[in-house]
Amino acid sequence: MTALVTRKLEKRFLGVHAVDHVDIACKDGSITALVGPNGSGKTTLINTITGILPMDGGEIRVGERTLTRVRPTDAAGLGIARTFQNTRLIGQMSVLDNILLALTERSVWRALFERQGQSHLDAAEAVLRRVGLSEKRHANAEELSYGQRKLLEIARALSMRSRIYFFDEPFAGLFPEMRKVVAEILRELRAGGAAVVLVEHDMDLIRDLADFCYVLDSGKVIAEGTPEQVLKEPHVIEAYLGK
Amino acid sequence: MDYAVHILTMIAITGIAAVSLNLLIGETGLVSVAQAAFAGIGAYGMTLLMLHAGIPFLAAALFSALIAGAIALIIGAIFLSLREVYYVFGTVGLNMIVWAILLNWDSLTRGPLGIPGITRPEVLGISFADNTAFLILCAVVLLAVFAAHYAIMKSNFGRVLHAVREDEEAIAVLGYKTEVYKIVIFVISAALVAFSGSLYATYLSYINPSAFTVNDSIFILAIVILGGLGSAYGAIVGTCMLVGAFEALRFIGFPASIAGDMRQVFYGLILILFMLYLPRGLFGKFRI
Amino acid sequence: MDAVPQIVLNIVIAGGIYSLAALGFNVLYSTTRFFDLGYGAYALVGGYAVLCLYKWVGINLELSLLLGVLIAGLTGFLTEKIVYRALRARRASNTVLLIASLGVFTLGQAALAIFFSSQFQSLSRDIASQRLFSIESGVITATQLLILTAAFAVMGILVVVWRYTKFGRAVRAIADDEEVAQTVGIDSERVIGAVYFIGAAVGGIAGIAVGFDMGLQPLGMTILLEAVIAAVVGGIGNMYGSVLGGFLLALVENIGAWQFGGEWKFAFAFAVLILFLLYRPQGILPK
Repeated sequence: MTALVTRKLEKRFLGVHAVDHVDIACKDGSITALVGPNGSGKTTLINTITGILPMDGGEIRVGERTLTRVRPTDAAGLGIARTFQNTRLIGQMSVLDNILLALTERSVWRALFERQGQSHLDAAEAVLRRVGLSEKRHANAEELSYGQRKLLEIARALSMRSRIYFFDEPFAGLFPEMRKVVAEILRELRAGGAAVVLVEHDMDLIRDLADFCYVLDSGKVIAEGTPEQVLKEPHVIEAYLGK
Repeated sequence: MDYAVHILTMIAITGIAAVSLNLLIGETGLVSVAQAAFAGIGAYGMTLLMLHAGIPFLAAALFSALIAGAIALIIGAIFLSLREVYYVFGTVGLNMIVWAILLNWDSLTRGPLGIPGITRPEVLGISFADNTAFLILCAVVLLAVFAAHYAIMKSNFGRVLHAVREDEEAIAVLGYKTEVYKIVIFVISAALVAFSGSLYATYLSYINPSAFTVNDSIFILAIVILGGLGSAYGAIVGTCMLVGAFEALRFIGFPASIAGDMRQVFYGLILILFMLYLPRGLFGKFRI
Repeated sequence: MDAVPQIVLNIVIAGGIYSLAALGFNVLYSTTRFFDLGYGAYALVGGYAVLCLYKWVGINLELSLLLGVLIAGLTGFLTEKIVYRALRARRASNTVLLIASLGVFTLGQAALAIFFSSQFQSLSRDIASQRLFSIESGVITATQLLILTAAFAVMGILVVVWRYTKFGRAVRAIADDEEVAQTVGIDSERVIGAVYFIGAAVGGIAGIAVGFDMGLQPLGMTILLEAVIAAVVGGIGNMYGSVLGGFLLALVENIGAWQFGGEWKFAFAFAVLILFLLYRPQGILPK
């Protein structure tokens, strides 16, 4: 099943197409990779899909729904969880609270009269243990190292228990053993039936993890297919190495 | 002794206002310069209900806090999409308009003459006509507000407010309707400060518009900045210091004609110097 | 019953004053991208400086006006140097700058009230001897004509300086992106200092105009609000916009005052601001 499809999705900055009529499809139970040189529009594409940036054209289909406008608050309701290229955690808040934000009730009324329950704490503990941050649970997020912040944000996304996950360069700046943990998390999500979208530069990782691959350049999809096929194509290599 | 009771009463009443502002600026990052306006709505609402409709103090005060909350709901919804600077500016304008209404709606508020003859309350059959008894009432309300502040900040709601303070968009992506959270806390804060306005009116037994100006809002802001953002305790310490300093000025025989302006000079200095050298405030939890 | 000509004249005169106020604010805000509430205080300083020099010390009018404008400019310049520059250097958040500027405003306004009292004071020495010009059934004084001329003159000068001089280009570069401006060799601190002087000086002219036209009171919020509303309505970063916004604001205020009484004039102005912020935040004439 296809979890998310974009049709002719557009995002312009001052008339320049940062996302230029992009069609992608993300399937359940698979890892879809977005690759391309810096500035090719990968992050802008994710930001447009998740409503951080308003879209300028095209549409997004999630399940039965077709949307031409997505606000940031809508993303979670569509079953989308994401991380940011530069982590956006709540810095002056504990690691545990950062996770609890993803776990507790969204309704204002209930939030006002409820505290986190034991089930929330257990779930938070489990996900923190998964990324190896459970000893840091009372530290403020801003006190963590770069890699730890990346892991915490991945843990926050996991806590959303979504159908679709966007990971924007989740491996950047991680030590090898941490990379292994993250790779394993991605595989587990896939095995659990989630649609995982991954932005990554490391071609070996892509070959290893991704089931399908879109190559972007100047906001356009210039190639798509399995990693083995796509990464051999001459114009993909050219886009990467420059003309 | 009487004088000490007076100062403590003023501290308790002002403390409620300061704690309510901390909910906005300290915990949620919404800089509001309209607390005095909502205190005025509370004070006038309670007074008119009590004097004209014969409603007893507690019911009148709660009802006028509801009115203030309803006004805050409308204003909060309008100001929602304003960027930070304009939000602040909007609250300043709101305070000026509320003040102008209190001053010019003669038939209702008696304008600059103010409304005298507000009686001390009787709550659940106990009279608070005596100053000491009234102080106890104010202290109990302050404690209740303090406890409410604590409960809100310990709830899941409070966690969301802290997150909004730092990165509203990042938490919107988690599925929170952050704008609703911001409106709700604005309403709660307005209702609390309106209640302190009611206490103020019944304590002094007389109100006029000059107690609810932008300058009075700046006074409350200075208290919270001094005490430190995100600390209800700091807000109360800040209140003790500034109300105390103000009374001390009077005590050492400062000429009354410029005492008000000296206070403003002092508050202005607090805002500038704390931003320059100690933006966290004395007991603040957060960097701003 | 023919009040219309006088109302039209009132609108034109108030529009001139608001234009001046908006121009100064526009200069500051469009360059530094920082919303300085202290502007209300600089404007008052201009008016009170003239009050002190012209009416108390007894210096002749021309020199008093010149010094008044310079003193207002200097106040802005020094505030920027002492308070805002230090905050910017430490990359203080907008909230911090905003609260500090509220402090500047409060401090400045109260200090003026202490020195000059809270009484209403007019800058005109002798209102009765002023030359009057009648237009239809309305009357305009020579001073008011001068204010109007000053508003357009200031606008013209600012437009020319901003567009055609090296300094103007540097200012616009900083307004676009301060860091990029620095990399091409613009000394942004000096330019911002100068901009602050100019903006506060123009604000001072507005304060002086208020002093002559209506009289001074140490309440800077009114002039600050009028400056901001006119600048936002016209479009931040556009000098013509500020003047247009100034006259538009005067129109709305005076018609509101005429229909509902002068005490509600501010509420109308404020409603205009909120409407613009919600539906056209870039103003009528965007940059």
